[in-house]
Amino acid sequence: MNIDFRQIVMALGTLMCILGIIFCIRTARTRFDRADSNKEVNLGITRIPALTLARLLAFVSLIVFPAGAVFLANYHTFEGVHEVRGCASCHVMLPMVNDLQDPKSGTLAARHYKNRWIAEDQCYTCHSDYGLAGNLEAKMTGFRHLARYTTHTYHEPIQARVRFDNKNCLNCHAGTPKFEAVQSHHTAHERLVSNEMICLNCHGQAHPTSVQRTPGSADYARLMERMK
Amino acid sequence: MRLLRWEAYCAILGFILTQVFVLVPGPYPMALFTFIAQPLFAIAAIGYLAKVIADLRRHRSL
Repeated sequence: MNIDFRQIVMALGTLMCILGIIFCIRTARTRFDRADSNKEVNLGITRIPALTLARLLAFVSLIVFPAGAVFLANYHTFEGVHEVRGCASCHVMLPMVNDLQDPKSGTLAARHYKNRWIAEDQCYTCHSDYGLAGNLEAKMTGFRHLARYTTHTYHEPIQARVRFDNKNCLNCHAGTPKFEAVQSHHTAHERLVSNEMICLNCHGQAHPTSVQRTPGSADYARLMERMK
Repeated sequence: MRLLRWEAYCAILGFILTQVFVLVPGPYPMALFTFIAQPLFAIAAIGYLAKVIADLRRHRSL
């Protein structure tokens, strides 16, 4: 039986949420000022005062379980954003993902995908500084994108506000014999590291152009097809 | 401390939204979890802690 971390997180999250709801209902019904402090409850291994048990349940249901549920759900988020499927769940990203998986496409992302230069989590590998897994600015960008997508306050084609960091490319390519053999990489090294010059200047379009992603364009319907 | 009713209701709503996100991950459940469930948990925790501290002060434990 093959059980991965996500299934464990799902099961634990579900258990925590259900128990949290049950304990919260109990806490909501409790009148702490009227609880009999002399009455004892038998827990099997020990007997404790009913008021103490009610206070303990309140602490667990309002502090411990919410903290656990938030931790597990955030873990779920961090894991989910690594997958290509996670990116494709927002329909504005479909052109990028469909193009990525199109064997006929010649974009940089598609070439990395079809040649298996990146074996898995292709979006995240090149955009590891984006969203919840990145720095504070990247996290805020991720939250802003989530808010704008879910409130429909965006316009197609979407435009990247942030500059793509060459480190995402250099993490894999820098130092490899093929990379080092190209003289222009040495000539432009400083400008590449400081992001004055971007890799795409020489290596072509990474994703479909904004013209292709504009509603009504010849390529729009093909690029927006829902993934199977 | 007499009641923890509204704190418990906030937490229940938070748990429900979190449960939806855990079972059906997607942009909308994620937004509900991020922008509603987490603040609800925080409000519930703050309300609870405020009442506990007030209770302890009343009994001169703090």
